[in-house]
Amino acid sequence: MKIIKFLISFSIFISLSANALLEVNIIKSKEAAFPIVIAPFEIVGDSNNVDISKIIRDNLNRSGQFNALSTEALITNQIDFSFWKEHKKDAVVFGKIEQVSSKVYNVYIYIYDVFSEKSLYQKKIRVHNSGFRRIAHFLSDKIYYVLLGQKGSFDTRLSYVTVIENKNGGRTYKLQISDSDGYNPQTVVRSSNPILSPAWSKDQKKLAYVSFKNNRSEVFVMTPFLKTIPIKLPKFDGIASSPTWHPDGKSIALTLSKSGNKDIYLYDFESKPIPLTTNIAIDTEASFSPDGSKIAFTSNRTGQVQVYIKNLKSGKISRATFEGRYNAKPVFSPDGKDLALIHRVGKDYRLALLDIASRDLTVMTQNKSDESPYFSPNGGMIIYSTNRDNKGILSIISLHNNQTVELMQKEGEVREPSWSNYSN
Amino acid sequence: MSKKILLLSSVIFLSSCATTNISELGDKFLDLINPSDDATEVAMLSGEETLVAMDEAGGFTIDELEELSNDELIAIAREKGLEDLILLDEDGNLLNRDQIINAIVESAALLESKSEELESMSDDELIEVAVAKGLSEEIVLDADGNLANRDELVEAIIENAAVTEAAISEFGNNAGSFTLYFGYDDTEIDEVATRIIIQHANFMQENPSVNLRLEGHADERGTREYNLALGENRALSVKEVLGLYNLDDRIIVVSYGEEQPILTGSNEEAWEKNRRVEFSYY
Repeated sequence: MKIIKFLISFSIFISLSANALLEVNIIKSKEAAFPIVIAPFEIVGDSNNVDISKIIRDNLNRSGQFNALSTEALITNQIDFSFWKEHKKDAVVFGKIEQVSSKVYNVYIYIYDVFSEKSLYQKKIRVHNSGFRRIAHFLSDKIYYVLLGQKGSFDTRLSYVTVIENKNGGRTYKLQISDSDGYNPQTVVRSSNPILSPAWSKDQKKLAYVSFKNNRSEVFVMTPFLKTIPIKLPKFDGIASSPTWHPDGKSIALTLSKSGNKDIYLYDFESKPIPLTTNIAIDTEASFSPDGSKIAFTSNRTGQVQVYIKNLKSGKISRATFEGRYNAKPVFSPDGKDLALIHRVGKDYRLALLDIASRDLTVMTQNKSDESPYFSPNGGMIIYSTNRDNKGILSIISLHNNQTVELMQKEGEVREPSWSNYSN
Repeated sequence: MSKKILLLSSVIFLSSCATTNISELGDKFLDLINPSDDATEVAMLSGEETLVAMDEAGGFTIDELEELSNDELIAIAREKGLEDLILLDEDGNLLNRDQIINAIVESAALLESKSEELESMSDDELIEVAVAKGLSEEIVLDADGNLANRDELVEAIIENAAVTEAAISEFGNNAGSFTLYFGYDDTEIDEVATRIIIQHANFMQENPSVNLRLEGHADERGTREYNLALGENRALSVKEVLGLYNLDDRIIVVSYGEEQPILTGSNEEAWEKNRRVEFSYY
């Protein structure tokens, strides 16, 4: 089969799928690094209406590192390399979905390097038809790795909180999880009282969060994929909030305000919580380093709101932020070298990136009210919440070219994102 | 009692002074009477005393109560457990008639809904409510640890609620709530605020059945968890002032951070209104 023509499809994403609660908009797209063609997969047998190639294209484009386009015609083994070289594409990906039984399919994927005309990767995967989206994400990570030598962040999940004003007054809060592209949202907790600070454990088995269902802030832990009742952490005096998991998944750091003093404690679900900070100032918003040896946190111990790092082995606490008078909500990058945090510029609260060693701070946005940043597991993107037209939305920024993708709901607001580790 | 005699004798006297300048005499007499009791005196002078049949359901209208004598009002108030609200002068005469009338009317309405609510609770739930209201002493348990005096406990809780309701509305709060505002990133209590809080401390001291819930809030700027901490600090500052009056064990502190704004919007007006501590009496 010869490929005669192809149409370029533009990278404007408007969610038309009934399955996605979150609409996705790319608002800034600079020249992306890797021009790649991902052709529609050949379908043998009953199709499932899941367009695997489109999910892969959208993923790769969202990362900011690819400019992934489709073709009008299928590619099946006969690749016109000179054609693609002419059109300056660096790689071609094609595949096939072949029905084996009523619910089981074989998925084939082939990645070719245009310049050398060599096959870079090919694989056959046996899939249940409910797992097509998952496979698309898994394959996106594979392509990312084969072509860039780094892991992607696609076979992962998001968790976040949605808020809708009820017609009869009051609000409905939902804690939801979704695919990394915002599709497939599932409500795991629903309440008429505020929910905040969802935090994934590293193995994706648990979600910790803060709920006001008992008219005060309390920390709960739930298992999104098992039908068990959320566990409430024991009643502590005052505030219990800001949970974050130790990488070993066995304990959490959280903020408690015993006797009115807000400090960070380590809690292993069995013995009494152990204080990690003891200063009479507000100490909150802790985040573990990837190896679990440190925590970064927010403190106003010098009168200004700044970010500090505590080495849990030596016990030493040192200040991390030296620019500006308000720096808060730090999270470690997956390689432990940077912190994403919220930095105040004038009256605006903006996402910023701190190089811990050099203390260089880079302000990443021009927004007015950014909050709760979180790194993707490959460190290439940061998700955070912000406002657009007075409505809360989520934003994902690529650290390669600052390309921004926005996730929002038609009705109500989205906030408090957390990005899980890999699902596989 | 002596007031009745005084007034009766004044009626007799006035009626026997038909030819004298009655108004002049009357004025002199009226001088001796406490001016705030004017309305009462008019009723008394008319010479009518009506006995009102006690309504078993406990409901009185304001009109019915206004027709009663002070002593009758005092008797009804005592029966409804509103003893604490009765203010008497040195001679034992009722000073705050209007307040007592309002309290009786409110307690009746309260009685019905409250008793329904309490009747439907389990013994354990009742015990919880009693403890929360500081009524632990009223609880009687049998040898097995079960509640032995359910009916009396329900009554005690209802009485307590009636007294509290009346005290709160007398204090002039809107449905038992009041709000104190703060400056940006501020948790400090200034002189004006301190004086206001002291008024509340006095109110609480005078009304031992009343408990307080302090809710701290922050405006939307800055991070959510830090604002949760800020809200709590604001409420704790207020509690500190009240703590000087030994009221600690009757105060609960809660923070909502930026989660429950009174006014939504990203402007100074909204931010000002949201930096607050809410006083909620119960």
